[in-house]
Amino acid sequence: MDWQALTLSVKLSLMTLVFLLPIGIVFGRWLAYRRFIGKSLLQTVLALPLVLPPTVLGYYLLVVFSPNQGLGLWLANNFGTTLVFNFEGLVLASIIFNLPFAIQPMQRAFASIPNEIREAAACCGMKPSTVLWKIELPLAWPGIVSAMIMCFAHTLGEFGIVLMVGGNIPDETQTIAISIYDRVQAFDDQSASIMSFSLLIFSMLTISFTYWLSERSSHNHA
Amino acid sequence: MPDSSIIIKLQQQQAIPLNVELQCQSGELLALVGPSGSGKTTILRAIAGLYQPQNAYIECQGEVWQHSSQQVFRQAYQRHVGLVFQNYALFPHMTVLENIQQALTDSPQSQRREQALALLKKVHLEGLELRYPKKLSGGQQQRVAVARALARRPKVLLLDEPFSAVDQVTRRKLYRELLSLRKLLAMPIILVTHDLEESALLADRIALLHKGEILQTGTPEHVSSHPQSATVARLMDQQNMFTAQILAHNVATQTTLIRWRGLELQVSYQPKFPVNTRVCWMIHSANVLLHRRDRPSNGDKENPLQGKIIEYMESSGLAQLLIEVDTELKVNIALNIPLHVSKRNKLGLNVTTGLSLLKEGIHLMPYQPLRRDS
Amino acid sequence: MKKFFFAILLITFNQFALATDIPVIAAAASVKFALQDIAKEFTQDTGKKVRISYSSSGNLTRQILQGGPFELFLSANTHYIDQLHQQHKTVGQGVVYAIGRLVLLTHKDSNVQLDKNLADVRQALQDGRLTRFAIANPVHAPYGVAGKEVLNTLELWALSVPNLVLGENIAQAAQFTRSGAAQAGLISYSLALAPALKNHTRFLLLPADLHQPIQQSMVLLKNAGATSKLFFNYLQQDKARNIFSAYGFSAP
Repeated sequence: MDWQALTLSVKLSLMTLVFLLPIGIVFGRWLAYRRFIGKSLLQTVLALPLVLPPTVLGYYLLVVFSPNQGLGLWLANNFGTTLVFNFEGLVLASIIFNLPFAIQPMQRAFASIPNEIREAAACCGMKPSTVLWKIELPLAWPGIVSAMIMCFAHTLGEFGIVLMVGGNIPDETQTIAISIYDRVQAFDDQSASIMSFSLLIFSMLTISFTYWLSERSSHNHA
Repeated sequence: MPDSSIIIKLQQQQAIPLNVELQCQSGELLALVGPSGSGKTTILRAIAGLYQPQNAYIECQGEVWQHSSQQVFRQAYQRHVGLVFQNYALFPHMTVLENIQQALTDSPQSQRREQALALLKKVHLEGLELRYPKKLSGGQQQRVAVARALARRPKVLLLDEPFSAVDQVTRRKLYRELLSLRKLLAMPIILVTHDLEESALLADRIALLHKGEILQTGTPEHVSSHPQSATVARLMDQQNMFTAQILAHNVATQTTLIRWRGLELQVSYQPKFPVNTRVCWMIHSANVLLHRRDRPSNGDKENPLQGKIIEYMESSGLAQLLIEVDTELKVNIALNIPLHVSKRNKLGLNVTTGLSLLKEGIHLMPYQPLRRDS
Repeated sequence: MKKFFFAILLITFNQFALATDIPVIAAAASVKFALQDIAKEFTQDTGKKVRISYSSSGNLTRQILQGGPFELFLSANTHYIDQLHQQHKTVGQGVVYAIGRLVLLTHKDSNVQLDKNLADVRQALQDGRLTRFAIANPVHAPYGVAGKEVLNTLELWALSVPNLVLGENIAQAAQFTRSGAAQAGLISYSLALAPALKNHTRFLLLPADLHQPIQQSMVLLKNAGATSKLFFNYLQQDKARNIFSAYGFSAP
């Protein structure tokens, strides 16, 4: 078991969650409650990573952030950093790639709160921010949590994007999925199989937990 | 203008057409009645601030909540309204007590629990503070919703078909509770319902809505017995509606004479309809008098008719009769009488009987084509 | 619960701040096992550590051009080094550190026979025993280029093309062969000598005149730090040279 790679993967997943939690809540809620021009276009764009091959996204990220031109050059000149072949670049790629896994379940969670309940909250004298905090978030919480769990598990298994945008740099971008690939190419079947099996078990646990959570929440809504 | 009333003027064409003007005094219960889609709930939501009509003026107890021409619009959470939703909209993740406390934003934290408990007591739900809404019956949920609405110390209490989701027995109980609660409330109360009987039981005044317009306001009794048009009569579920022709007006006897299917009927003096014009007329079934063989009365002499009972239904102490009257062309009159009277007079299907249409009960309305053959 | 959250955040954020001064070295897949051993010796001798990222030389070149954080690049040829030098990414023109050789590799139980002219390979291609023949991708792997050259020299290219399985780098090609998914492959001598491969495969060293010499060159990159420079020198000294030859590389 490549503990360094596993730790890196866990850190990558957690970091992705730190960003996706607020992004998911904001966008999920916005899409659940507002109608506006261009809404279906926005939803389509946000859903792209569901069907887009990771290499396509990886390719575009490389193009945009390569430090030889454009945005990448600007970043290199002004901040001395890049967003390719390092952990930060992976976090960015991971955030983008997980957007639909975060936003869609949260959107559903917010949308499943009956409008009347939010209106009743307003009639109780609650400001919109209070309604969000006291009513919407608690009721949407199971959906939010399961979105976060899915994102975590999904990030843990990311491969194509990491390979393209991150390379295979130990303790920087060598995530556990890459490490498995690496071990296979080093003819180290034992390591590869241990890591693969662990990820398999973890994925199963994640999915079961998510299902259990969503069943529990459907009991909470009268 | 008394300060503790509510004035509502709404007007818009798009989306849901509306054109209403309403007032409700403090302590008065006004029912908005009408078929679904007539705009009743929209009006209620506009009052609450959950819906913003294009042109509106809403003033409640001196506060202007909306004034379109001056760009004034107060958000729902800034208005003090108590709204009881049709499905109660209790917060499922909070206990009964917490639900009520959410509306006690104006009170200091330390007093909220006490005040919430007091409200619970008012709606006869002591002991249920720690229950969750899904463990409550429909009637209990409704009471919690009412308590929560009152916790807001509202300037107007709005009820959106609050009894439609419960069974009849519970409903009767809740009616009584609402009526007794009313006495303690110094605010206008607006109730939306499609149930005419409910409005008759609970309301001081009703406003009959049809396609976004108010057709008539008045006491339930008055609107049902003196509808301004055949449409109103139909919406008030008046069964005895017919057409006739004005024959004459007699100011001396305070009588108007109409011809109906070859018969001449004497009705109360209603000179606004010119002679020889067609009119619609209706009579509330309470004003149809059955000729009782055991106890004849003076009323028997007014507009007497003979007929055969062609439909006979008994229900909860009443007999509902449909009588086919002998006229030029067959026509039916509906009436209800107490069951014991029906039995004593040995009434049933195919029995012939006499009946009278009380003169004061015949109400004339402008002519409009009626759907059934009448 | 909140404390747990903060702890997680702290641990996670430190990854950002981790301006580690363990340099990253890009190395061709063919030198994997040799370089790992050399790196171990280097750490023992100097106390300094390096991190090594393995891939095909072409892939690594692309990553370097796109801003990868590498400080030293060990390619499996000279062509990519030249390319990087022309793009002003290097310190100097680079140095050949080893000469590579190619072998014909088969799984232990494969029925394809080993011979210097690949005669049985030809036969096996024709009679259907050899349906998948592994080489590294000639587009970006130098050993793939060498493999293609061998096949061209022996006039086997046209016959083998429909059956070729291209490894993303030479190690993947070796892995295909080792697992038996490919019945035979043209693999680097260095990998064929790796312990992990020895027990599962048979190989035959191919004559060096069947292909252009595989001159493996390395170069320091523009942002190379002290440790990388130290390692660069280390790689040219006796200890490292000996390890390279133990893995089948010839001295430059």
